[in-house]
Amino acid sequence: MTTTLRNISEIRRYFHRNETPIYFISATNFNLLGINEWVRNFHYINYIDCFDGRHPAVFVPSETPHREFESIEDINNYLLQHKEVIDYIKKRGGDPKTVFLMFDEETEQLCQELGLEVWFPKAALRQRVDNKIETVRIGNRAGVPSIPNTLSEVYSYAHLCELADDAGLGRDLVLQTAYGDSGHTTFFIANEQEFNRYADQIIGEGEVKIMKRLKVRGSAIEACTTKNGTIVGPLMTELVGFKELTPYKGGWCGNEIFANAFTQAIRDQARDYTFKFGEALREEGYRGYFELDFLIDQDSGQLYLGELNPRVTGASSMTNHAAFAHADAPLFLFHLLEMSDIPFELDIAELNERWAHPDNVDSWSQLVMKHTKDSVGYITQAPESGIWHMDEQGQVTYSRFDYHRRAVETEQEAFYLRISGIGDYHYEGADLGILITRGRLMDDNFELNERARAWIKGIEQYYQAIPLETAPTQPAYNLDAGAFKIL
Amino acid sequence: MKLQHGFHAMHEAWPDAQWQALFNRAWPAYQRWFLRNGIGQQPSYLQSLRQLRAYMPELLPVYERLCELAGGGDTAARFLSMYCPPPYYVSCSQAVWTKTTPFLIRNYDYHPALLEGTVIHSSWLGKPVVASGDCLWGVLDGMNSAGLVVSLAFGGRKLVGIGFGIPLILRYILETCRDVADAVAVLRHIPSHMAYNITLLDGLGESCTVLVAPDRQIQVNPLAIATNHQQSIEWTQHALATATLERESFLIHSLASAEQTAEQFIHSFLQPPLYSTQYARGFGTLYTALYRPDKGSMTLLWPHRTWQQYLAAANPAPEG
Repeated sequence: MTTTLRNISEIRRYFHRNETPIYFISATNFNLLGINEWVRNFHYINYIDCFDGRHPAVFVPSETPHREFESIEDINNYLLQHKEVIDYIKKRGGDPKTVFLMFDEETEQLCQELGLEVWFPKAALRQRVDNKIETVRIGNRAGVPSIPNTLSEVYSYAHLCELADDAGLGRDLVLQTAYGDSGHTTFFIANEQEFNRYADQIIGEGEVKIMKRLKVRGSAIEACTTKNGTIVGPLMTELVGFKELTPYKGGWCGNEIFANAFTQAIRDQARDYTFKFGEALREEGYRGYFELDFLIDQDSGQLYLGELNPRVTGASSMTNHAAFAHADAPLFLFHLLEMSDIPFELDIAELNERWAHPDNVDSWSQLVMKHTKDSVGYITQAPESGIWHMDEQGQVTYSRFDYHRRAVETEQEAFYLRISGIGDYHYEGADLGILITRGRLMDDNFELNERARAWIKGIEQYYQAIPLETAPTQPAYNLDAGAFKIL
Repeated sequence: MKLQHGFHAMHEAWPDAQWQALFNRAWPAYQRWFLRNGIGQQPSYLQSLRQLRAYMPELLPVYERLCELAGGGDTAARFLSMYCPPPYYVSCSQAVWTKTTPFLIRNYDYHPALLEGTVIHSSWLGKPVVASGDCLWGVLDGMNSAGLVVSLAFGGRKLVGIGFGIPLILRYILETCRDVADAVAVLRHIPSHMAYNITLLDGLGESCTVLVAPDRQIQVNPLAIATNHQQSIEWTQHALATATLERESFLIHSLASAEQTAEQFIHSFLQPPLYSTQYARGFGTLYTALYRPDKGSMTLLWPHRTWQQYLAAANPAPEG
C-alpha cells in the first residue's frame, strides 16, 4: 500500500527517489529547465540542442528529413516518430510518462502506441478550456471577472455596434477570437475602417469576445490545481511588444518576478481569483498546471481576467526558480504529484500563504529575444548558452558554460539560453534565445531599462549572419530549423 | 560492356559484417535517391515500423538487426522499411519453362549505374535463401530451400499508392512461404506501392504470374510469363520504349513452339528482342537469372559468361 505524503519534505524525498521515467518532450527544455534536479529519472527530449551536447539530461536526436513544422505540436509529433527517440525511450524502460508544452490528439495517439502515458489532461479538454470565450464563462462562474464584454458572432460593423451598444461597451473596442496568442488574434477597433481591416479574421470565426477598450497592464500568474486545492504562484509582470525584442506588436517577450511587482491589494486579489479559477477548472475535469493572464486597468486599478493557458508556459521558468520554489518545491512538482496519483494531504492554504510572503519572492527577469528585422540570413556565429558577464561600461562577454540559471550571481551576470545557432536561419520573428538575469529589466513605467537594452545589444552583437544567397547549400528540410514560437 | 564486374556474392546466415559493408558502400547513393524528391508525405519511422509489424511481423528481428548494423539512424531505418519508397521503374522479361523439368528464367533490365549487383545467400529465418539483392535486403529474383522461386517485372503503370516496395514483399515471400499458393496469399494481403508482375514457380512445378497494383485486387494469371504491362497498355511511351508487347509475344511463341528446346529458350534471353542494350535509357539487360528448383541452383548468365550459385554455397564473384 502506498504511503500518503503529508508534507513538503516527503514530497521532495518521493521525487528524489522516483523510478518512473518522465520525459519533457519539446522543442527545447526552456520551460522546465532544472526540474530534472528535483525529480530523479526526469529527462528532456528536444529538437534543438541549446547546450551543444553538454546538458546531461537533454537528448536531441539527429535531425532527419521532415515536413515543415507549423507548430510545437508538429515538432513533438516528429520527435515521437523518430527512431532515435523511440529507441531511447525503449532502452530506458520502465513505465514511462511524458509531459509537453503543447500537444494534440495525434500526439496522444503516438504516445499510446509507444506506451507513454501523457501526464496532462486530455488535449480535447485543454482545447475546450483554452478557448477564450469559454475562459470568460468559467471565470464568470468562478466569480473572476473579465473586462466588460459581450460574447457573440459578428456579421458586420453595424452588427458589432449594435452588440456593443446593447452591452454598454461604447465604440472603442477590443475584439478577440477564440484561439490565438501573443497578439495575433486581438483586434483594436474604434471605427468602421479599422473593422474592415480585420473583417475577414472576425466574420465567420464563430463567437468573438467583444471588450470595452481599457488602458491595461498585463500580468501573469501560474498555479496548479490538485485534489487538495489550487496552489498559486506569484504574480509576475509581462514584457509585451518591445520592438527591441519582438516584431509582433502585443507579442509576449518576457517576464519579471519580484516581491512588490504590484500593490498588495492587487496581489491578494490576483491570488484569490487564481485560486477560485483553479477550483472551477477542476470542476471542469482539468487537473494540474495552468497559467492566467490578468489585466490591470490603469485608471481604476481593477483586476480583470485576461486569458487562460492550460499548460506550462514561457513564464514557468520564472515560477519554478523563484526563492519559494527552492525553499519548498517548484510548482511543477505538484503537477507531477497530482498526475502520479500518489495519495497526498497538504495544507494548501498554508502553502499559498507562505508563497505569498515577500521574503519568498526574489527578483528575476527574462527576455525572449527574437530577430526583429525584416531580413533573412544564414547564421555563421552565435553566442553560446551559459553565463555571460556585463562590465561597468555595459560590455557583454562570455564567462563560462552552465545550464543552471541559479548560477547567475549578480545583476552583472545573465544566463543565456541559445535557441538559434550556427547553421540556422534568422528571419523576422525567429527565436534567437532567452536571457535570464537577477533584478528588473523594466523601470517603474514598465519600459525597458538601460540594463535591459545593454544586455540585448550585448548578446545580439555575437550573432553574425550572411545573406541567404551566399549561404552554403543546405538540404531543403533544414530551412525551417527554429521556425516556431517558444511561447 | 563488362557489366558483370560489379557483381559479388555474400553469404551470411544472420546479417553481420558483410551486410554492413554492403550498407556502408551503397547507402550514400540510396540516401540520395530516397531523399531526392523531398520528404513531403514520406512516412515516419514509427509509421513504417507500424506497417512492418502489421504486415511482415516475422521480418522484424531481421529489420531491427539491419537498422542496428546501419548505425541506428532514423533515415536509414525508414528507407530499410521500404514502406512507401520513392517510385522506381524497371523493365524485365521473365518466364517459367514447363515442357521438361520446370525452371524460371528472367532478364533484369535497368540502368547499369543503379544496379546493386549483389547475390545474397542467407538463412535469416531458418530457411536458406539465395536472391539478387535490391535496396540492401530486398529481392529482385530469388529462390528458397523449399524450391519456391520469385521474380519481379515492372507492371508498366505510373500509379504510385500506399504500400511496400515490391523487393521487400518478395523477400518476405522467400523467407516465409513454401509454395505458390502461400506466395499468392501474401501478394493478396500485403499492399504493393506500385504495379508489378510477379512470376512464381515452386518445387512441385506449380507456376503463375500475379499482377499486383496499389489500386486493384491482385490477378492471378496461370500463364507464367511477364513483361512490362498489365493486361492493357496504360503507359504507351514506356511500353514502346521497352518493347513490352514484342517481348511478351516472343515469349508466348517460344513456349508454344514444339521445336523449342530448353537450351534454345534459355539462349533466347541473351538475344534481342529479350536482350536489350538500351543501357543509357535505363532499359539495358544487366543480367539473366536462371533458377532450377530441382537442383537448388541459381545461374546468372551473360552473353559470354555464367556464374553458378547453389542454395547451399556462395560462389564469391564471376570471373573476368
